[in-house]
Amino acid sequence: MQHTFASSEGPVEVTLARDGEVLHLSGFSLTQHDRGRLMVRLPDGGKCIAHATKVGDVWWVHLNGRTYRWERIEPGSSSAHDEGGLVAPMPGKVLDVLVREGQSVEAGAALMVLEAMKMEHRIVASTNGTVTHIHFKAGEQVAQGAVLLDLDESE
Amino acid sequence: MVSKVLVANRGEIACRILRACSEAGLGSVAICASNDQGSLFTELADEVVLLKGDSIGETYLDQEQIIAAAHSTGADAIHPGFGFLSERADFARQVSANGLIWIGPSPEAIDQMGDKMTARQTMRAAGVPVIPGEEVEEDDVGKTLEALREAAKRVGYPLLLKASSGGGGKGMRAVHDPADFDQAASAAQREAIAAFGDGRIYIERLLTGSKHIEIQVLADRHGRTIHLGERECSVQRRHQKVFEEAPGPTMTPELRDAMGQAAVAAAQAVNYEGAGTVEFLLAASGEFFFLEMNTRIQVEHPVTELVTGVDIVREQLRIAGGDPMSCGDLMIRGHAIEVRLYAEDAANNFLPAIGPLAVFRPPEGPGIRLDTGVREGDDVTPNYDPMLAKLIVWAPSRVEALQKMRRALDEFVILGTTTNVEFLRDLCDAQPVIDGSTTTTTIDTLWPKGWNPPRDMTLEDASLLVAAGAETLGLHLQRGSASTEGGHGPESPFTTLHRRYP
Repeated sequence: MQHTFASSEGPVEVTLARDGEVLHLSGFSLTQHDRGRLMVRLPDGGKCIAHATKVGDVWWVHLNGRTYRWERIEPGSSSAHDEGGLVAPMPGKVLDVLVREGQSVEAGAALMVLEAMKMEHRIVASTNGTVTHIHFKAGEQVAQGAVLLDLDESE
Repeated sequence: MVSKVLVANRGEIACRILRACSEAGLGSVAICASNDQGSLFTELADEVVLLKGDSIGETYLDQEQIIAAAHSTGADAIHPGFGFLSERADFARQVSANGLIWIGPSPEAIDQMGDKMTARQTMRAAGVPVIPGEEVEEDDVGKTLEALREAAKRVGYPLLLKASSGGGGKGMRAVHDPADFDQAASAAQREAIAAFGDGRIYIERLLTGSKHIEIQVLADRHGRTIHLGERECSVQRRHQKVFEEAPGPTMTPELRDAMGQAAVAAAQAVNYEGAGTVEFLLAASGEFFFLEMNTRIQVEHPVTELVTGVDIVREQLRIAGGDPMSCGDLMIRGHAIEVRLYAEDAANNFLPAIGPLAVFRPPEGPGIRLDTGVREGDDVTPNYDPMLAKLIVWAPSRVEALQKMRRALDEFVILGTTTNVEFLRDLCDAQPVIDGSTTTTTIDTLWPKGWNPPRDMTLEDASLLVAAGAETLGLHLQRGSASTEGGHGPESPFTTLHRRYP
């Protein structure tokens, strides 16, 4: 029972041991409590109730007042989704484009102004680079995750 | 007499008002846009009128359609809630002109207070202290920026740019450096025009380190104007309140009297009727200044209700029907705290979030109140304000109220959409919150580089085990489980998640 999850520090592999109804992992143990809820025993002997639910590929886990998200990487799939583009964090409308194609920008420079949920959001350059392509004009609607601009880092 | 109320609002506040109507034995009508069909508030109304149109302007802001809905259902009164048309004098006028009762103050009072520049002038005349600043009256749009720039020099930095028609932090910008002024003023104007159709901006000195204290007032047609004490709402992010309490932790009976009297004077200056809130900034010096008056029910009204025992919405219904208010002399008992739960990423500049409320399990127990417009299975969409719920606790003392809030937030399970629950929980452990020394800049001071959840490696490992274990056990495939994978899994025919309304 091996599962791989994505994390900001790279993929994490988890291998569980099973003993009847109980799952084990280095000092922790886990049993199903009722639907959607699990009983976790911690290495120090403490216990807590966890809630878990899966949305798409992501397991959302709540325990002890904290919420964690673990995206499961299906066996055999590649998890490379770093396109170097700047994407819309929310569905919304482009209010203003502050740069031109070919323009060099510094990390932190405002590139585009987006309106989402009636608030303005600035799209800023993540690194120094050159704007190679602008995908939207002011006034256009954008979907969540849409690539707004391409930024070439290799200057 | 009021017998049937149309609630011209949606979500959490519509639920609050519809429940009050039900308790008062009044008939109720909800209006809803097509993307709100099946929302919780539509289930709480006796009747629902589906509005034509898609945008907010074509639905919840369409005065003609709303008044027609009142006529077609035989409603005799309209409660506007907050936001939307609640502070639109022209709508209040239309409602009255159509023979309906407007549950709120007169259009004249709304006008005088709603235009923030006029309100400052009215308050000065009534002897209520206002924040040092300047109103810019410039009709020529091309010269506005220049006039604002000049006024800014006289007011001094740091300063706050505010939309004259503003509210809710929209069209508002703090400027600390004159070099940022032009950009901030243009952004404030753009936001103000988009949100209110009015780009007029005024300037106030930014009083850092001050507390936001507001006084709830009630006025009826029988000559009574009273205040229900204060709420402290200093803790704000992006000029929007997230943590509110009553009574104010540093309030004294003498200051409450003085601010209460100023609030009553402000209300009387505009012949106020119904429920309203007079907002003040309380400077470190102990001086207080009028900020604005909100001529409607307020988001944070529950904390006042819990410590005074007054049902403010029921009083609104009574007053609008011409009856005297039922509450007696002000009595404040115990302590109440409210936090606002938003679908937003507190670790990423409070960016609004969307997604399914795959699991939504509020805390329970004595002293806990939840005002919400959502339930498990609903989707958080980008169509409306991302506030999901207000969690309010009451306890005999402030210390116990804070303890109760910590417990309640720890128990609150929301999965499927990013929320600010953990941020609110951390806030309860912040020293200024524990001390009651919060100011409007507390969040920025506590987390100058933005908030991040504290890391607990044991819990993080445990959560990873839960995710792996849940996958192994096939929790997402179990009948009736709170999991969602497209929502149409053959294994879970009764899943209530991921509702999609036609």
